[in-house]
Amino acid sequence: MTSSKAVQDPNGFDPEIRRIEQEIVGFFAEKSPEFTGRHPIIATVLTYFDIRRSLTQEDLQKLTGFSAGTISKSVRQLVDMNVITKETIPGTHKHIYRMEKLPFTSARYFFMAERLIEEMEKELKEMKETLDNEAEEMKGVKGYQKIYTTVTQLLKLISTMPMLMALIDEEIGKFMKENK
Amino acid sequence: MFSFFINFEKIYILRFPLCFIKMENSKPRLTEGKLRTVEKRLVDVLTKMGYLKGGSRKASEITAHIYVNQEVTQKILRKLTGYSLGTISIALQALEKQGVVRKHSHPDTREYHYELDGTISEIKFRSLIDVQRYFSQIKEFLREIEAKLSRPDLSEKKGYENIRRLLDEMKVLIPAYEWVMQRFQTFASDVEAKREV
Repeated sequence: MTSSKAVQDPNGFDPEIRRIEQEIVGFFAEKSPEFTGRHPIIATVLTYFDIRRSLTQEDLQKLTGFSAGTISKSVRQLVDMNVITKETIPGTHKHIYRMEKLPFTSARYFFMAERLIEEMEKELKEMKETLDNEAEEMKGVKGYQKIYTTVTQLLKLISTMPMLMALIDEEIGKFMKENK
Repeated sequence: MFSFFINFEKIYILRFPLCFIKMENSKPRLTEGKLRTVEKRLVDVLTKMGYLKGGSRKASEITAHIYVNQEVTQKILRKLTGYSLGTISIALQALEKQGVVRKHSHPDTREYHYELDGTISEIKFRSLIDVQRYFSQIKEFLREIEAKLSRPDLSEKKGYENIRRLLDEMKVLIPAYEWVMQRFQTFASDVEAKREV
């Protein structure tokens, strides 16, 4: 997914290091979609942030060879995912995107923000309430049972999230301390 | 004037049963409308979940429809999403690879049907086990990178520190996640066992 054309490195990386970096990016661009469902372009851009931490859209275009539109969409998605932040470069209209720390050092990234889970749970509960209250009339309508099953299964799944998030934060915290 | 009256009456007589039929039909239609609204909200929630995990919007929406409908064909997905058959086919291939759907050919039509491979919890639980397989592949790959990076002349080169930091962080994080996943699997199995009791 990455361009092999020799372009000037935005951070002045040595060509040999750059080749190693491209190998790492290539690995995650191939494996991450298979195991996590992440899009290869998102996996590519994310890995560059894992390595370089601060990048502009222009830098990313040079590194990946993707179009300006693709890069713009990717960084917007990573901001929505809470993985990077966007700042304006003082005195310019340009933006710089930063990754403070590896995203999976916190469960809040791995399973989306807590607030988002709460919002989804609230919405699913509202849906279930409608489906329960109108069960008599709705039962005969095509698709009712499938929709009901999906809503209840999702609610069950979401209820285990806080425990998993607490477990991750606790264990990752311990490991980080021990290995400092 | 008279003819107008007759016409009016005719119209009235004709229209009355129609109005009656319309009223009779309005409740089921309202119920159907409400269910379709819930269905749309559910698809939106699932699409958002997929997008925030790093999936493309299109693939996330296709996945959402499969979760809701449980069994689909490419044609049904095209009707539901409006996306091209090419986009749908790529998304389905990826979902098959991830173990979310399994396909079978319909005996009469020979058309492929894509069926959800288990309940949502079962699929997510399986993906946790797959994550462990992912971690071991990452570890093996990073060992190769480590070997390449160990050449003494590389340590002075620009960018070396960035790769070094990533490797060091991964070395700590991956074992931590492996441990968490093991503990969570035990927890999830216990919860499931308690629910069954």
